[in-house]
Amino acid sequence: MVTKKWILLNNEIMIKNDDEFSLHKDKEAVRSYFLDYVNKNTVFFYTLKEKIDYLIEQEYYVDFYQWYTFEQMEEVYDLVYAKKFRFQSFMSAFKFFQSYALRDDSGEKFLERYEDRVVAVSLFLARGDVAEAKSYAEMLINQEYQPATPTFLNSGKKRSGELVSCFLDEIGDNLNGIGYAIDSAMKLSSIGGGVSFNLSKIRARGESIKDVEGRAGGVLPIMKILEDTFSYANQLGQRPGAGAVYLNVFHTDIEEFLDCKKINVDEKVRIKSLSIGVVVPDKFMELAEKDEACYLFHPHTVLKQYGKYLDEMDMDEMYEELVTNPLVKKKKINARHLMVKIAQTQKESGYPYLFFKGNANRGHALKELGNVKFSNLCTEIMQISEVSDIEIYGKEDKIRYGISCNLGSLNIATVMDNKRIKEAVKTAMRSLTVVSDLTNIAMVPSVQKANKELHSVGLGAMNLHGFLAKNFIMYESKEALDFCNVFFMMVNFYSIQSSMEIAKEKNETFVGFEASEYANGNYFASYVAQDIVPLNAKIATLFQGMTIPSAADWTDLMNQVKQHGLYHAYRLAIAPNQSTSYIMNATASVMPVVDVIEVREYGDSTTYYPMPYLDNDNYFFYKSAYDMDQKNVLRLISVIQKHVDQGISTILHTNTKDSTRDIAKYYIYAHKMGLKSLYYTRTRKASIDECVSCSV
Amino acid sequence: MSQYKAVNWNTPENDYAGMFWEQNLRQFWIDTEYIPSKDIDSWKSLSPEIQEAYKKALGGLTLLDTIQSHTGMPKLLDHIDGLQNKAVLSFMCMMEAIHAKSYSTIFTTVNSTAEINELFDWVENNKLLQFKAATIDKYYRNLDAAKVSNEVLFMGLAASVLLESFLFYSGFFMPLWLAGQGQMVASADIIKKIVADESIHGVFVGLLAQDVYKKLPNPEKSKAELVDLLMELYENELKYTDELYTEVGLTADVKEYVRYNANKAMMNLGFEELFEIKAVNSIVLNGLNGETTQHDFFSKKSTNYEKSTEILYLRDEDFQMDTDPVF
Repeated sequence: MVTKKWILLNNEIMIKNDDEFSLHKDKEAVRSYFLDYVNKNTVFFYTLKEKIDYLIEQEYYVDFYQWYTFEQMEEVYDLVYAKKFRFQSFMSAFKFFQSYALRDDSGEKFLERYEDRVVAVSLFLARGDVAEAKSYAEMLINQEYQPATPTFLNSGKKRSGELVSCFLDEIGDNLNGIGYAIDSAMKLSSIGGGVSFNLSKIRARGESIKDVEGRAGGVLPIMKILEDTFSYANQLGQRPGAGAVYLNVFHTDIEEFLDCKKINVDEKVRIKSLSIGVVVPDKFMELAEKDEACYLFHPHTVLKQYGKYLDEMDMDEMYEELVTNPLVKKKKINARHLMVKIAQTQKESGYPYLFFKGNANRGHALKELGNVKFSNLCTEIMQISEVSDIEIYGKEDKIRYGISCNLGSLNIATVMDNKRIKEAVKTAMRSLTVVSDLTNIAMVPSVQKANKELHSVGLGAMNLHGFLAKNFIMYESKEALDFCNVFFMMVNFYSIQSSMEIAKEKNETFVGFEASEYANGNYFASYVAQDIVPLNAKIATLFQGMTIPSAADWTDLMNQVKQHGLYHAYRLAIAPNQSTSYIMNATASVMPVVDVIEVREYGDSTTYYPMPYLDNDNYFFYKSAYDMDQKNVLRLISVIQKHVDQGISTILHTNTKDSTRDIAKYYIYAHKMGLKSLYYTRTRKASIDECVSCSV
Repeated sequence: MSQYKAVNWNTPENDYAGMFWEQNLRQFWIDTEYIPSKDIDSWKSLSPEIQEAYKKALGGLTLLDTIQSHTGMPKLLDHIDGLQNKAVLSFMCMMEAIHAKSYSTIFTTVNSTAEINELFDWVENNKLLQFKAATIDKYYRNLDAAKVSNEVLFMGLAASVLLESFLFYSGFFMPLWLAGQGQMVASADIIKKIVADESIHGVFVGLLAQDVYKKLPNPEKSKAELVDLLMELYENELKYTDELYTEVGLTADVKEYVRYNANKAMMNLGFEELFEIKAVNSIVLNGLNGETTQHDFFSKKSTNYEKSTEILYLRDEDFQMDTDPVF
């Protein structure tokens, strides 16, 4: 093994000359990566026909001839290759070839370039409609839209995992329910899904089993089993399985739940790789604010008293009742101290996620159909769910809604540059719909039911900071708020319009549409009341050449929706998109960048990634998230959130010197600003030099 | 009768002990937080030569950390003024023991017991490695007396800095180099934690040494002795590097890296650099950088999180914020 030249070159970016990084080294790294590695390891074909036939015959690709003639496929290839695509950074190229490009069965030779992957995805999703395939291909090669990893990775491949990435389900408080969850976890993990479970219905440690007190083991043993299940059921060893669990903050196991992430905790109760999240109802925040006594409840005693799960209750309404009922077992704590404990755990581990249940349900368009109870591995999926009743063999199960969601992201910078918000949103929505329609997770019936009846998708966005910096706009500025307000309103508009058109075309809506806030028009109230337009002249210029939907357009849309319905119960969700943003040479999601050159550690590599569009002129606009007042970030997210029906993965960036109190204040602010969730908290360490130089 | 004193943290003894205590505490970690089992596939994919070099590099490191925790730190803290300084050293001493154990956490995960036993035999019988240990140990043993001169104490501290800031790095090169290229990444998380610790240990002991150095009547003599010691160890490091890295073809890179770290050790002791450095392997240099990195929580554990040492509670005013909607 010799040092790989391209990795060395990529590392040499960090060498500073006259205070400037050696950014040109990154281009040299891309060049070397292609000349010294990719090209030497790519299987060569004389003609396109030879390539396509080989890939189909050798069972790498599905048989595209069932849908297209060779000439039709050639048109799509020509369109894509004519764009002369080039990777803009080493990270983009490296990530693509490392993780996405099709390889031969020995794993040594590449069978695809970026263009080929784009075509395969397009042909596969268009199912024989050549015009549709071309519109997908154009959008993808323009890098206007990026499907989530499972779709981009697996589309068109004969031997592959599923196209959908994200699953959620409830766990019932009995062995059948727990067994069903573990079984689902294993199956969903093996097909590449990130899986999240709501543990809030599980009885707490020390509660009764069959009325014998003190027998229940609580949530932690289940977490242990799930953790091992995910690490066992990985995707053919390619990607480690990943899972998350959520617990309601009023569950008496909550402190134990948080302690599992502590650095020095007993091995038996330590959770290393499972992600954890806390469900925070408004009532808890209220108790903390008023500094009133806060009671945690034993969920099984609540169920026995009221026939209803603690987790499904409206705590604003039921809290006093539970406190006064002597038959409900409870434990008194201090809500502010618990918040600080959460902050402390986040400082030490980045976890837990927070899910603000009240905010997530306040504008929920399906509120008549049920509540949003928890979220997923990346805290952007927020949909109704209900626990299934799993019976013993021979008796029929009562299957209710799990959650299935497939994701994709718009690239804000290219969509804006090409003036194609409308086209990109609509094409993206169609491609996401195909993925939902093609998906049938029969082995987990609760997830299957949700997908079949609700057709949920999650269109998100990336490259916000890159786009702003490129246009000399500070991320924390008023202009940025103005831009996001208009941009995401438009995304919302066109996604609804697209969903309505698809419903009309298919003559089918999601199940329960009639009872939704879309059908009665409530959802549209704020949009039809007032035009949303750019307030700042510079922002207005950015939108020139595109029509911004007016209040009248929204009224029209509202009426068309009433008439035709919507195909998707849920449409928008902004994912953190990690790998995919690298391929797109974009900044991740709507989050600020962490550094002008990001040091990225993966399980399999360390790579240096200069931020997209970075040069000496705009350097100043790539202010690190760690140097920003997090309230400014949260405020921006609150603006976007108004236009997004599900959630937004929102990362808090803190520094070592930030106290637990500082962090807890961000929770309060996020909650008050209407954010539905907070994802990880990342911490920037004080480096040794810094701490010695500032105090010695 | 002698008077016993209790450590009083209320009054700072100097301007750095408290800060190093805090920093040490924040950096606290234990080996079992990490998941080297993720590296089993990576280990199997490495060539036998690289495996051999890797094992030996870690074996050598285990020896150095053992000396540091069993002899170095306890001897030094016996002679250091200031109870807070002693407290910091004893915390570091414990961490050295954790370091020494954590290499085993990696071995145990990827190697068989027979291989491990063989490795420890190698450590005990390798002349170059034993020379390193004996040379440093000699300066520690000079501290055995109840009272020692400042000259002897300075050399004890200096030997410790050489070990922490210089001698470790021929061993660290291998895991950092591999990790930079995507191999043995989970184990490198442990190594990076150790590197971060050794770096504050070197700085702290270096500061103590500088304090002692200021009190020396004939400092130039001690400095000359230090440079002699460093050169003697340097010659040995070159041979050790040849032995470990020739077969994997990295000798030149490692030697440059050894010189780079020799300079760092000198700087920690408050002296100018000794060697001229041309180009240190960027992959390894970047791997050394303890600054915050980005990672994907699903694919690996982060090395960024630290124990929170200060817990502040919320007050009423924290709930009063301007939360008017923006639009």
